[in-house]
Amino acid sequence: MNTTGTANKCAPSVGVTESLRKPLYSVVNAKEAFEIEVELPGVSKSGVSIDLEEDILSVRGERSGTALDGWKALHREFSSLNYQLRLKVTTPVDVEKIVASLEEGILKVTLPIKVASQARRIDVA
Amino acid sequence: MIEARSQSKHQTTRNLMKIARFTPAFQFGRTTDLGPWLRHPLAGFPAMAQLFEDFLPAVAVSSNPAADLYEDTDHYYACFEIPGIKKEAVKIELHDRVLQVSAERRVKAGATESTRTISRALALPNTVQETGISAKLEDGILTVTLPKQESRKLKVITVS
Repeated sequence: MNTTGTANKCAPSVGVTESLRKPLYSVVNAKEAFEIEVELPGVSKSGVSIDLEEDILSVRGERSGTALDGWKALHREFSSLNYQLRLKVTTPVDVEKIVASLEEGILKVTLPIKVASQARRIDVA
Repeated sequence: MIEARSQSKHQTTRNLMKIARFTPAFQFGRTTDLGPWLRHPLAGFPAMAQLFEDFLPAVAVSSNPAADLYEDTDHYYACFEIPGIKKEAVKIELHDRVLQVSAERRVKAGATESTRTISRALALPNTVQETGISAKLEDGILTVTLPKQESRKLKVITVS
């Protein structure tokens, strides 16, 4: 029987893919900007990375596990300590003016909506 | 418009320790049973206890923050996820060996803003020394440090 070999091939690569947790978030569509709030408890400023690649905004938060070193888990309600949120942004936003702040474990990202260039009237000289 | 992209797993680790939850009708909040930490009212009825577990989600419901428990040789640590809450708004009470963490949280829904109380209870085992419990809030995580009683600490005896 060669089932063992096949089974090994099909087995998921444990430990290779990092498990990430999807954080709770809210998006407020204001007139001039999208205001996104992401709950990232345990993540400090240095652990946050925000990327906008084409139309995908991805937020990653990594918990600095300094305090957790040497602690033995008795009970955990989430398997992963790190967060990832991916949002598709279909409205053009002003990439240069994106701002983010982190306070008490809540990340606020403001994506200003790009103002469409206004119609210009051209006078005939 | 902005929409959710890929879903990552909201996994819960159930294999670490048998945990049962219940919400008494007269008390808000959730009590976590950690084996010896609390005698469970449904201890004799495993099928019923399972039913309760299946219905009550282990993920953080907004009114019951997620709690993780850790230990080292000298302490237990209970970590509550309470993002967006200032330390002045957190209340920690210890009564009858039950540690109750509660906080007022402002919830914005459009233009209206309301407050919601979040709370979570934890029954402490006899091994916790009630004096010397401390707490700190950092980056939205409340860590309550529970010292173990001297007699319950791991002792290493060297052979003379």
